[in-house]
Amino acid sequence: MARTADGDLKPQLYKNGVKCRDTRGNLCHKRKEKNGPGTGFASRQSSQESFEQAPMYVAVMTYLGFGLVTLFGYFRDFLRAVGLEKCHVAQEREEQKDFVPLYQDFENFYTRNLYMRVRDNWNRPICSLPGPVFDLMERVSDDYNWTFRFTGKTIHNVINMGSYNYLGFGENNADFLTTVADKVQQYGAGVCSSRQEIGNLHIHEELEELVASFLGVESSMSFGMGFATNSMNIPALVGKGCLILSDELNHTSLILGARLSGASIRVFKHNNMNSLEKLLKEAVCSGQPRTHRPWKKILIMVEGIYSMEGSVVRLPDIIALKKKYKAYLYLDEAHSIGAVGPSGRGVTELFNVNPADVDVMMGTFTKSFGAAGGYIAGKKELVDYLRNHSHSAVYASAMAPAVTEQIIRAMKCIMGKDGMTEGIRRIRQLAENTRYFRAKLKEMGFIIYGNDDSPVVPVLLYMPGKVVAFSREMLKRKIGVVVVGFPATPITEARARFCVSAAHTRDMLNQVLQHLNEVGDSLCLKFSRRKYSPRTDLYEETDFELDS
Amino acid sequence: MALVDCWKQLSWFYNQYLLVTALYMLEPWERTVFNILFVSYSLLISVAGMAVYTGYVFMPQHIMAILHYFEVLQ
Repeated sequence: MARTADGDLKPQLYKNGVKCRDTRGNLCHKRKEKNGPGTGFASRQSSQESFEQAPMYVAVMTYLGFGLVTLFGYFRDFLRAVGLEKCHVAQEREEQKDFVPLYQDFENFYTRNLYMRVRDNWNRPICSLPGPVFDLMERVSDDYNWTFRFTGKTIHNVINMGSYNYLGFGENNADFLTTVADKVQQYGAGVCSSRQEIGNLHIHEELEELVASFLGVESSMSFGMGFATNSMNIPALVGKGCLILSDELNHTSLILGARLSGASIRVFKHNNMNSLEKLLKEAVCSGQPRTHRPWKKILIMVEGIYSMEGSVVRLPDIIALKKKYKAYLYLDEAHSIGAVGPSGRGVTELFNVNPADVDVMMGTFTKSFGAAGGYIAGKKELVDYLRNHSHSAVYASAMAPAVTEQIIRAMKCIMGKDGMTEGIRRIRQLAENTRYFRAKLKEMGFIIYGNDDSPVVPVLLYMPGKVVAFSREMLKRKIGVVVVGFPATPITEARARFCVSAAHTRDMLNQVLQHLNEVGDSLCLKFSRRKYSPRTDLYEETDFELDS
Repeated sequence: MALVDCWKQLSWFYNQYLLVTALYMLEPWERTVFNILFVSYSLLISVAGMAVYTGYVFMPQHIMAILHYFEVLQ
């Protein structure tokens, strides 16, 4: 049973004793009845995550498939070494053949023999705005994807299911962008300096105040690049003698920042509170490895929504653990800010948690706000310290004024400060689209990972041949999807990742679902062994908590 | 008409075979090499094995029957 933030274990009883289920879920039903942070209803409902396993034969065939392609990879490498086949990869000059080798042939075995064969599914050139529909340039390859050439045709109106455009702010409607155009006229396009030197524009301070009031914290700081926000600020917060407890599936930027900092890193199983508690107990009891001195700081690093799985962090449990063991919490809300929560304020709002409980809140503006960059928010002392000690603040170029203004106008729209209800309409549209899409996919029989609230929907495909065929088939039907394979996911769990957007209409989603159904049937992708009825359950749980 | 359907069904099965064994990712000549070397090889081995075993089981009876027929043996 999930512990609430104040350690209370009593389940929540409702007015007439029977829980009434709000099918829309996110529309503040729990807010009206709350009497404290982290109510039982919120944490129970928001932790409906499923990670169904595929039948055994799927894993076996995936390994066999990879084995076969690896064998052929060795064969082709042999042919290239012998000279029977032309070698397209980089090679040293004849005069340098006896020197220390520059290009390690075996290291990029995977790239050369598996990725190159099918790389027409990635890096597709887009020639329009990445909105709900976009245009692609058609390209073909004559030599099995070693080189490409454009045919000159453009594929118009491809439905975009891969862009992180959760609230639809990636738009080029001139009415919405008037303030951005004004700022470009006022400030120009570039900043020509770093933040600390002379690049601190008034518009940056305006943005930071707005972000702080949006999140409900004391103060915040913005950076020009989201990846650099993580990788350059974690070294400023922790150093040698500190301990970082990071989730198994954290993003590369967090891992890079942790490694750069020089702190000790321990990994706990994904979203597993027992694993985290065990590590915390051991850290507090034993201290640093050889000297057994207490750790200077213990920092728990988690993400709001994990982009490869679609799972949501168990925030109330982590906050309870952090308070018990006196650790700090770093929450990376790259995908969840703006996309979850009844008014778009991220996982703290989803779980009804006090934002002051999270020590360092980090997020990016790339996903829900249609801009670029990142922020770190928290107490005023923390942010003032980062202004002077973070590499990104001191050395990196400041955020461009047009991008800053785009974030400001998007945030004001979400908060409702411009007087219109456009923002809240988009958030509700996103929640509705997410629920509809996920429910329909489960009904069709696909295996989906993740929480029911998350707009990131990974559909598991498993076998490498099917992954590639899926991507090509969907493009033939004018739907653009992102498929992810081995280095980014475990080897047996290749997937297609759909990103639902508030800009998708019900029509577009229906079109996508229909094509998915057909492709799923023709490629045999429906591995799920659960049975879903088209009618939703009347009550969420099988036992009622009735008044006596 | 039924022949066309049959052909369609067969080609669907072949496509599934290509997808599941990841032959879909390989070039056409590699698929031919695999099909002839491994698949046909394994099919040949299994067919030949079955023929030898059946022969071993039934050959004595067949030879006795033939000899009876030609009245070499009584």
